[in-house]
Amino acid sequence: MEETKKHVLIVGAGIAGLEAATHLEELGYKVSIIEKQQVTGGHVKNWFKTFPYFDASEAIINFAERSLSKFDVYNETQLTYAERNDNGFKVNTDKNKQFQADAILLTPGFKVFDAHKKEEYGYGIFQHVITNADLEKYFRNGWPERDNKNLRFGFIHCVGSRDAKSGNLYCSKVCCATAVKQAIEVRQHFPDSEVYCFYMDLRMFGKNYEEMFQAAQEKHGINFVRARLSEVNQNFDNTLLIKVEDTLTSRPMKLTLDYIVLMSGMEPAENAAQLSQIFGVPTDESGFFAPEKYLVSENNTVSEGVFVAGTATGPKTITETINDARSAALAIHHYLSHSRIPTEHGKE
Amino acid sequence: MIELKGKERIWEKYQKEIPLDRYYYARSCIRQNFWPGSETTFIKILEEELGKTILDEEHHTTCSGIAYHCDVIPQETTMTIVARQFSLMCESGYEHFVPSCITSFGIYTEILETWNEHPEVEEKIKRMLMEATGREFRKPKFLVHPSDVIYALRFDILKKAKYRLVNAKTGEPLKCVEHVGCHYAKMFPDKGVGGAEFPRVLMGMIEAWGGEVVDYPERRTCCGFGFRQYMVQANRGYSIACTKRKFDSMEPYKPDLIVTNCPGCPFFLDRWQYVIAEMEGKVYTEDGYGIPVLTYEELAGIVLGYNPWELGLQMHQVSVEPLLKKIGFEYDPLDKFKVGNQTILTLPEAPGVLKV
Amino acid sequence: MGELVDRLKADVRIKDSLHACIHCGTCTAICPAASFYDYDPRELTSTVQDIVARGDDKRLIELLSSNYIWYCGECMSCKTRCPRDNAPGVIIEALRALAQETGLFAESEKGRQQLMIKRTLGEWIVDYGYCVVGDKMLLEMFPEQGPNWQWVLDNIDLVFEKQGAHYQKEGNGAMRKIPKEDLDELRMIYKVTGADKRFKTIEEFSKKKAEEMGIQFDESHDCEYFKHVYTFNSNNK
Repeated sequence: MEETKKHVLIVGAGIAGLEAATHLEELGYKVSIIEKQQVTGGHVKNWFKTFPYFDASEAIINFAERSLSKFDVYNETQLTYAERNDNGFKVNTDKNKQFQADAILLTPGFKVFDAHKKEEYGYGIFQHVITNADLEKYFRNGWPERDNKNLRFGFIHCVGSRDAKSGNLYCSKVCCATAVKQAIEVRQHFPDSEVYCFYMDLRMFGKNYEEMFQAAQEKHGINFVRARLSEVNQNFDNTLLIKVEDTLTSRPMKLTLDYIVLMSGMEPAENAAQLSQIFGVPTDESGFFAPEKYLVSENNTVSEGVFVAGTATGPKTITETINDARSAALAIHHYLSHSRIPTEHGKE
Repeated sequence: MIELKGKERIWEKYQKEIPLDRYYYARSCIRQNFWPGSETTFIKILEEELGKTILDEEHHTTCSGIAYHCDVIPQETTMTIVARQFSLMCESGYEHFVPSCITSFGIYTEILETWNEHPEVEEKIKRMLMEATGREFRKPKFLVHPSDVIYALRFDILKKAKYRLVNAKTGEPLKCVEHVGCHYAKMFPDKGVGGAEFPRVLMGMIEAWGGEVVDYPERRTCCGFGFRQYMVQANRGYSIACTKRKFDSMEPYKPDLIVTNCPGCPFFLDRWQYVIAEMEGKVYTEDGYGIPVLTYEELAGIVLGYNPWELGLQMHQVSVEPLLKKIGFEYDPLDKFKVGNQTILTLPEAPGVLKV
Repeated sequence: MGELVDRLKADVRIKDSLHACIHCGTCTAICPAASFYDYDPRELTSTVQDIVARGDDKRLIELLSSNYIWYCGECMSCKTRCPRDNAPGVIIEALRALAQETGLFAESEKGRQQLMIKRTLGEWIVDYGYCVVGDKMLLEMFPEQGPNWQWVLDNIDLVFEKQGAHYQKEGNGAMRKIPKEDLDELRMIYKVTGADKRFKTIEEFSKKKAEEMGIQFDESHDCEYFKHVYTFNSNNK
């Protein structure tokens, strides 16, 4: 007679949750995922192309959902309560569905910083001030009606990041590469456009990012200005007027633009605080989940049987998220099969 | 409308509690000199129109803010003078401190915040005040600016209004530029109604009284007082250049008036128009009179139908009469330079370019 | 090593307003002084940060002796936006205070102007109880006030009465004569809090500098040195 499979409950069906589910299922576990949206795929589902190779996000989603039929996904379902019992965890949801799980994996993902909070940028007040997330929708669904000739775009890095005034001191890591990618896409879509990137530092840390940046400058004629946006105003003709200082030449400048794209950073998910409370997983000063041990054990937490993966512990690229999810699956497997790998050299 | 909704989201965030009675009034050096009618009108509106209690006693002095921002007196001096003002407020039995000047408001706010962060500084000032004057003090329960008070009471004022900020001939709302003093909210945005980026304090008044607010690219720019940048003749170019930049930016919107809540700002917005007219022949309105600049008390007084010459509009260099005519305000032009039963006093010289 | 820097660090304004600068330029972008002068609040903040980190008295003395610290108009637009919670406008206040306490203000053209401010605003506070006294704002010194102001000055009592104010009269009201006992309290405050001391320093170092520069100096507003610091380099014909 078949032994009852151990059950892993995953919170969040973005690419981290899906990737972990794929591997856990293959390793022989029963997997359930609860997801608050109507569909799986998280944020990546709303994007168009990815950096640095301009692969379609759709391809990433297809990859992430490759084993979807092999595990149970409960859409439009949110976790409301959980408690430990002798057999692991009892979990309640808002849909009258209960779970009994042997291990929990938290992959609630991230939330995009609400750009309304940067009042001086005029998001929601002036026309044609949009965010990186809004821009991906334009790429997917088409651009709104306007006179589309000779448009001037300004990409603003570090919105809601590295900013005491926004309450987020950390760097959101992936926005620089996103901005360069989106700037290139805009130049490709509007060949007569003028595109600026206003950055503080250019985080081109990944494989081929630096090359993408060089192509942005040389092939696509994008202007990189080392300046942080101070203020947005609206001109008499409804174009946008920005004030910056080009810090490499020490010159304060005013520029007129037609579109401003605010690179809003990643923040902890809406329900991160609630999950932290329910499962006893601490968060760091920025509100992201704190793992058991930074650097070497970032999927385990101090709460036994509870694991974390993906952007819930901090901003990540797609690749890092996928790798992190696999790592979490392995960590859960070791836990559930009573692994005898020591935690330190010389200790049993 | 995308614009208003976005601003309303911001305003929801900045809910400043404003007490509605029993104010201790601390007058402003600049306003007492250049806009005395405004301070008189503030007291008059509160006491006579709205039945409020406001104390205007004789022993308070300058807060020393201008000298402080000219960096000529130490921070401890200003803090102790401020502590003395609080002591007078307590002695008089009041807890709601209302400084007439915006620089003052900034100074009082900054000092209270500093004392919060560094209680040892507050202790030091307590000792210094005791040593210098034998006085003790308590911090006010509320610190608000008179423009906050007028904002909070704007609908009560509307009930008594005789006029609206509306063109009497065309029925169109007047286009109003609002200029909020830098020291109101730039240092501590949560101490200003509406915050620092889209402050609501003057906008609320204008819209309540029928006008339409005009936004323009240099709205948030300083008027250019710059303290020592104006006081010293050699630096004055900074001041006029700053103000001119604002005028150049607001010109296409053809504003009917400018209203401000700072003492220095209307001075510069008024006088530099005169200077620019004389130096460069440039006037910012088609009729050659310039854009009238008002304090918010003058605006309230006009809406309430007060005698413009008791409001002190004759002290302005840019004539306010074109505005009065626009809203159908009935006034006696001969009364402008007259006082009571006196014969007409000598009239001021007319400028060369600016029409008056 | 670093004694002067220690004095600067002790200023509560430095504690509150100087944190590490990341050179983003948000402050300079909207600084009026940066538009009209060769001044950059970003550079100022990082210079002071450097000086404080290294205890570099020599460089601090250079800075305090230069025009660079006198361009700021203290509008505080920088404080609203800095992502590191710096406030160049407040750092400037601490620098200007130290420049005057040490007498280094007299080494720069713009620093020397403090004498004019001390002899007007600084003294009006204890003499009258106001920073600015209307009938002292004469058109010769402040011509931009316009002909209407001259008319006000000529008829000041009556014009003020009409607006419900009592120019330099007893009792309450705008521009009232502030009672002597209150002015005496202000004088004592000046003494106890170090304003007198600073004023003395301003006068002493100005006098020395006037001698060096060969310009006539006495206590009046009419002396050559007063007129010099007030008008020099103002391009006024």
